[in-house]
Amino acid sequence: MGIIKTFDERADHIKQKSGTDPVPLACSNESLAGAVSQRACVYSGARVVLNPITDALHLVHGPIGCASYTWDIRGSSTSGPTLYKKSFSTDMKVADVIFGGEKKLAGAIRELAARYRPPAAFVYSTCIVGVIGDDLKAVCKSASYDLGIPVIPVMSEGFRGNKNEGYKAACNALFELLGTRDYVPKSPYAINLLGEYNVAGDLWNVLPLFEEMGVEVIASFTGDSRVEEIQRAHKAKLNLVQCSGSMTYLAKKMEEKYGISYRRVSFFGIGDISSALRTTAEFFEDPGMMERAEEIIARETARIAPEIERHKSRVAGKKAAIYMGGAAKAVSLVRAFGEIGMDVVIIGTQTGSRDDYKKISYIVKEGTVIIDDANPLELKELLVKQGADLLVAGVKERFLAYKLGVAFCDFNHDRTTTFEGFDGIVNFAREVDITINSPVWNLPVERVGGALMRSEVETEIGVDQTEIRTEIGTEMRREVSGVIDAGGETVV
Amino acid sequence: MQEARRLSENYATVNPCSMCMPMGSVMAFKGIEGCMPIFHGSQGCSTYMRLHLAHHFREPVDIASSALSEKGAVYGGAANLKKGLLNVIQGYSPRVIGIATTCLAETIGDDVVQIAKEFQREEPHARDVAIIPASTSSYSGSHEEGYNEALKAIVKTLAKRSRSNARFNLVIGSIISPAEVRYIKSMLEDWGCGFDYTLLPDISETFDAPLAATYLKIPEGGTPLAEINEMANSRETLTVGGSVWGGGAGDYLEKEFGVHHTVLPLPIGVEQTDRFVGKLEEITDLGLPEKYERDRGRLLDAIVDCHKLVAGVRTAVFGDTEMALGVAKLLCEMGMDPRVIATGSKNAEFVRRGEGLTPGSEVLSGVDFSEIHEAVARNDIELLIGPFTGRQISKAENIPLLRVGLPNHDRFGASRQMVLGYEGTTGLVDEIANTIVEMNERDR
Repeated sequence: MGIIKTFDERADHIKQKSGTDPVPLACSNESLAGAVSQRACVYSGARVVLNPITDALHLVHGPIGCASYTWDIRGSSTSGPTLYKKSFSTDMKVADVIFGGEKKLAGAIRELAARYRPPAAFVYSTCIVGVIGDDLKAVCKSASYDLGIPVIPVMSEGFRGNKNEGYKAACNALFELLGTRDYVPKSPYAINLLGEYNVAGDLWNVLPLFEEMGVEVIASFTGDSRVEEIQRAHKAKLNLVQCSGSMTYLAKKMEEKYGISYRRVSFFGIGDISSALRTTAEFFEDPGMMERAEEIIARETARIAPEIERHKSRVAGKKAAIYMGGAAKAVSLVRAFGEIGMDVVIIGTQTGSRDDYKKISYIVKEGTVIIDDANPLELKELLVKQGADLLVAGVKERFLAYKLGVAFCDFNHDRTTTFEGFDGIVNFAREVDITINSPVWNLPVERVGGALMRSEVETEIGVDQTEIRTEIGTEMRREVSGVIDAGGETVV
Repeated sequence: MQEARRLSENYATVNPCSMCMPMGSVMAFKGIEGCMPIFHGSQGCSTYMRLHLAHHFREPVDIASSALSEKGAVYGGAANLKKGLLNVIQGYSPRVIGIATTCLAETIGDDVVQIAKEFQREEPHARDVAIIPASTSSYSGSHEEGYNEALKAIVKTLAKRSRSNARFNLVIGSIISPAEVRYIKSMLEDWGCGFDYTLLPDISETFDAPLAATYLKIPEGGTPLAEINEMANSRETLTVGGSVWGGGAGDYLEKEFGVHHTVLPLPIGVEQTDRFVGKLEEITDLGLPEKYERDRGRLLDAIVDCHKLVAGVRTAVFGDTEMALGVAKLLCEMGMDPRVIATGSKNAEFVRRGEGLTPGSEVLSGVDFSEIHEAVARNDIELLIGPFTGRQISKAENIPLLRVGLPNHDRFGASRQMVLGYEGTTGLVDEIANTIVEMNERDR
């Protein structure tokens, strides 16, 4: 008996936390055909990881669409160069598919390098390149030789897996760049931040904290980074890994080759940013630094406390649903919601692993639904069934939430306020507060005394069309009870 | 400048001014009642285009995918596609499924028409579902061509010859907004021909659904299947927009079923709207309702009101072919100077028509925003009109960009934008004038 109606193959991907055992959630690399997965492709995974390198040339070898839809997609801010905000493509046409696109690719690299003089170029392969067999590596190698800059192939044919494979392709590309420039760190305490993408300027809330502790951040992978910083990042002593889904692979490779230890951290939430600072200080075993870290934590926590309390008093007890790309952000969000007194009733990710879901099932409360690779139909049913007041997700999910009368917070590429660091958590609490407590949800969704009851209007389209509705004249926010048949039958 | 054009035409595209064919197909498929689109290809295509359209319309946009993986790419994607179709039927209970192929499916050589036929033979669930295969690999053309191709595939699959009827077909040949489709429908309603025509595709509700007590998996609205079946028997077809392309749904109906076909540009501005209205008078044998005559007068009034303010303002218009030409034509009527007229699709007719509008304009087809930027710089442009993708030029040159057309990710109300007909044009005229007022105030 499932929690909601869904496809047979999907039943094991949706479980409810019950008791103390970990939830055995199914997860797989292939999405179910026809189920409208929220996942993207290998290329997408690679692109979102590498794109924030601000001064690199990012060239997509493929038809125009792949470049059109990812142009400046990341929401990643820059303190200087803007080359990464341009969209470069070989715009492959029929002739390129028939006769091969290598010549066009080589020409494109040459021309763009001459025009923009980038310190390095990333060349992404797309589905079609994998099928017609262009030798991306050879073209890049020869271009690199001719131009005297690293031209790095990113092997990201869309169909060869999901975003996780793309992360790996991106990490391999970064690894190729790493260690190609010598550097003597200014501080004996030099670190890198892995999986920090500077969305909306997040990084700039975090950097001053490390600076105050006497820690030098050589490179941020990859938010607001420069090619040169990536090249010398091997001189760090420690890697702090935030988005573990995208960057653990790189951290392990760096540990193996350069002996750089890594720690998993998060800069989001009061608890998590505090432990990130403590973890760093403890790693360097420097009592002075530990003291400074504690000072910063105490001072900053006290500084933001009144604001946090104010928002907390307005959102405490509300129910949150989380649907994220990766598990690290989802886990961090559970803790952050705890800090503002909210309960998590749904938590899901696009690309979580079995271990991720095990971890998640330990930190969520009894009754929370955990879901892997959700689709809009499942999200819709779960939001109503679990009585969520708020969904935290990305743009694709935003308008579904709104149509259901559920408040929404963007935690993906599209947010324009910072959520990391101490100031970021205040922004987060504020955003959650203003959306949950907005008067828009109290507007009557239908006129009281309207002439025609909707349930009397026959729809011809399908059998399942009227399953979610409220009483006529009630406010927009959906009633929880008695709305949906919670029976576990599948649609088949 | 020749250097710049060579850069793009031969090798790299810098900041694209077009999208891919499957994107256009969605705009057509979503205009059919009870229709769910599915892409035959890798999962990313569907997710990216959902994201792109959700940004633009601010609506949930569901597009399924056959989610081809490495195995599918090597051994063929028939099994995935069939599985996908079955799941779409089970999950969404659609009446119609539109299959759009992506580069991957086209290149590995899947015969989607055949796979769809097999599926309908094999699968009892599929018998009552109409399945429309459209061939739309990204490398074969732009989103405009994908839209055109899907419209053709729709009538090719669904229009059936039976008894002639007295209806006429109104094909929306270019991508316009839901509000614009609503406007055309209400105009025809006022005209008194509410039930005498079939409008395809009808995205008026599907991409701009009201917030309601009931959330439907497939939004209400769209052209009913039964009406599309009958399009082969109509007395004539009028296609508005898409006049630079040819070979679309209207041409197909004429060739196969002898339904007389007329193509007109989009009704933007005085003259082009007059042509549209005149043609409708001819088709319906009814005069334009008085209300619209008065709207026409108000449009003239609006144009006269601002004519000195806008006189000679050097403007670059870009975006979809028909929209760019229509706006450029309006600018000429207003006494402005559409010095640059550009589109990302390759189309010779676009260049011919654009060059006919006003002497001395640069008319560019198949270009990217880097080339448009250079044209903007060398023509000392003061105002930009087109999709939000031109915003880097706006920022770099410090000139305003009036957002018109798809995509528009950074302003609200894209689904409610209205630049068609006398009324819509009037709104656009006011917006152009006010943008120039703000520009002048800022410079002062």
